[in-house]
Amino acid sequence: MIASPPWATRAFLLAAALLLAAEIVARLGFASSVDGRFDYGYHPTAGFQETPDGRVHLIRSGGRRFFPQSYSIQRPTGTFRILVLGDSVPRGVSVDLAYGGQLAALLRARGTPAEVWNLCVPGYGARRVQTVLRQALHYSPSLVILHLNNSNEFEDERELRRSQEFAGWHPKNWLMKSFLFRRLYEAKTEQVAWKLLPESIRARQGVNDADAEIAASMNASLARQWEERVRSETRKSVGLCDERGVPILLVTQATWSTQSGARRIQDAGLAELAQSLTNRHIAWVSMLETLREGDLPSLFADASHLKPPGHSLMAKALLRTLDATALLETRSGRQDTGRSLTR
Amino acid sequence: MSFVTWPYPFFLATVAAMYWALPLKGRWWLLLVSSYGFYAAWDPRFLALLLSSTAIDYFCGRGIVDERRPWRHVIAATALPALWLGTCRLVNVAAPGFPGLPQVDPRLIGVAALLPAVFLPAYALLWRWSPLRRRKGFVAFSVISNLAVLGFFKYFNFFSDSLRQLLHALGASAHWDLPTIVLPVAISFYTFQSISYAVDIARGQGQPARQFVLFAAYLAFFPQLIAGPIERVGRFLPQFETARAWSRDHLHQGLALLLTGLFKKVFVADNCALLTNHVFDPKTPLDAPWALLGAVAFAFQIYGDFSGYTDLARGSARLLGIELSSNFRFPYSARGPSDFWQRWHRTLSTWFRDYLYIPLGGNRRSLPRQLANLWIVMLLAGLWHGANWNFLLWGGYHAALLTLYRVVPPLGRLERATSVAGGWLATASMFAFTLFGWVLFRCANLEQLGHWFGAWTRGGAVGDATAMKPALWLALHVAPLLLLQWATRRDQDERANAHWPWPARGLAYAALVLALVASSSQDQEFLYFQF
Repeated sequence: MIASPPWATRAFLLAAALLLAAEIVARLGFASSVDGRFDYGYHPTAGFQETPDGRVHLIRSGGRRFFPQSYSIQRPTGTFRILVLGDSVPRGVSVDLAYGGQLAALLRARGTPAEVWNLCVPGYGARRVQTVLRQALHYSPSLVILHLNNSNEFEDERELRRSQEFAGWHPKNWLMKSFLFRRLYEAKTEQVAWKLLPESIRARQGVNDADAEIAASMNASLARQWEERVRSETRKSVGLCDERGVPILLVTQATWSTQSGARRIQDAGLAELAQSLTNRHIAWVSMLETLREGDLPSLFADASHLKPPGHSLMAKALLRTLDATALLETRSGRQDTGRSLTR
Repeated sequence: MSFVTWPYPFFLATVAAMYWALPLKGRWWLLLVSSYGFYAAWDPRFLALLLSSTAIDYFCGRGIVDERRPWRHVIAATALPALWLGTCRLVNVAAPGFPGLPQVDPRLIGVAALLPAVFLPAYALLWRWSPLRRRKGFVAFSVISNLAVLGFFKYFNFFSDSLRQLLHALGASAHWDLPTIVLPVAISFYTFQSISYAVDIARGQGQPARQFVLFAAYLAFFPQLIAGPIERVGRFLPQFETARAWSRDHLHQGLALLLTGLFKKVFVADNCALLTNHVFDPKTPLDAPWALLGAVAFAFQIYGDFSGYTDLARGSARLLGIELSSNFRFPYSARGPSDFWQRWHRTLSTWFRDYLYIPLGGNRRSLPRQLANLWIVMLLAGLWHGANWNFLLWGGYHAALLTLYRVVPPLGRLERATSVAGGWLATASMFAFTLFGWVLFRCANLEQLGHWFGAWTRGGAVGDATAMKPALWLALHVAPLLLLQWATRRDQDERANAHWPWPARGLAYAALVLALVASSSQDQEFLYFQF
């Protein structure tokens, strides 16, 4: 008979021992898969799962809600690897229907081997996009398509605060310091819930601080700070690509609305920045210029998100720009593939 | 402070550690201070109401057993609410923005000062009456004052809005500018417990607390203050009056109940709530399978939520050596409405039985009179849950069910079925009736109710692809609860796994911990806190 101390019972001691053993197993076996869960998108590698067979899987993990995709870590010889980074607008409703996927289809249709990685995550602002970019540049891209938007800085800021809070001492985070609990939580929220609950229900679980976001966006000084942050972080991102000799295609966001019965499309205010950055290795496509002549209600799903026909127009514009600028003729694209992207 | 927020385990552990280290009177003071702190964490201003109830019922309780308290005690105790509000006001002025303390309107202090102004003359008058008349007078004073407080804070908005709407519908002018009354948390529970205190003492079913601090700790006992169980003086107060020694059973039973309660709340109820909130949102397009799914999800949400709360309350109390009443006994296995009400929120249903149904005549009267009493009780029980027409409708629906089972012989026979098949049929049909009742309970307005009913005309079938996966989600969260209940079915009060060998209990505890941490981030308030 096992005796137990007066402050405990055998059943609880057994439960504690089982949990402790499971925690040790989790720390030994699952450490990499739970890393970053509570970094809220600021973890350097979360969402990129490399496997011993030489592949990298893009997964929903650590606040990185990538569409599930799988590629080889080494760029296949003769294939153009294009990475699309941004928020929910370039992400689209699926990899194939987003403008990145449609660009890949256009390229392949004309015999150019190309893979386009959709590295876009809803709500990601300039800082978190840059964190993704830092990791993505390890996969030898031929081109980076960087979608510029300035409407996600509130979320970037909030999530940074949450990740810093989690790193602190606060007791409310103690449970999730356990790798075992974190793994279970991750499995439940990112896998079981994702598979069994429709989007409309999952969306209700998200942080609901729309009022705070509206209030913050009305604050002129804060808005100026965010605007400046987008500019400086975008310059840094461009610099990172430049250091590695990766050409960039910038895409600037546009929004549309109906005012007094008239449809109006407008730039998000980043055209000037994009224009100032363009050079021989950096080109720019404006959503405003691409879509302004189209039937806006059939191109946009809401004020800023595109429907598949809108993505289709964007993909064609990107291809035209690539043809016109011969971005991939130079630097990494030409050197690695040994062939020309353009006809 | 809620049981499922991070400070609570620290709070409970600190109180429990100090409790067992203190002598009996020290324990009363500790429970009183910690309970008031627990309650003040919601809104310190409402402590004044709790203090008022405490003062009135303490002196009424002593008065019922013919013990007159010195005037200085009566004056001091009845002045406490005004003193408390005055202190809050001083803090408002001295330290604006003091954390957790809203602004105290100076007029509230004036209102609180009315308590001694009303109670002292009444107290003096009652002591001039004959002993028999005086006892009735004290009981009446306690009942009326508690019902007045409850009626004003809980139903003022409801009746003023209803009257306004009625006048408007009749074409009369109904423009008045009345303040909106904020519902103090826990008021429905502690006022009912106060009423039972006075009535039970008058009936000789318990002795009143001798010390004011003991009674204050009894009424404000933090594990059961917010949402019950509603305790009776005869069973509950003696547990405070006796100096119990520490036993490992307190720890074992307390932790087991806390774990089960957390599991029911966090794993079952909060995950069912995801489906419920979606289905009962009028903006959600619904078809028949989704409507059914929403009803089933709500049935398990409210059960997991409230029985989870009760387990947490009982577990917390058990760590302090105090046993609270069990409120649930596998309610969805009920075979009929009478059986259901002996299994669901038992401390409330027995309260209505003992203090309303039986005094109205109970089962001793003719059938029509019995049924009339039943309707009165069920409508009031519905209204007790909240000041809204849906709760009244729900009470009426259950009254109709009880009536049908009494006057339609086949239904009565079904409830009393002894065969296995008959038992299953009775349970299934009562569960279906219960589901419909929960829909009435959940729909806060006609728009929601119409939306839910409309779904049944929009086609679709059970097993529809769109509702299939969410149904699996529901099953995933309900099945472990049903399994736990099946495994603990021999325990009359749902106390978890008391008969299991310790290794099985250890495995079960580890599984419960894993299940609830997987769902730990959804921070939802207990449903019964709003009642």
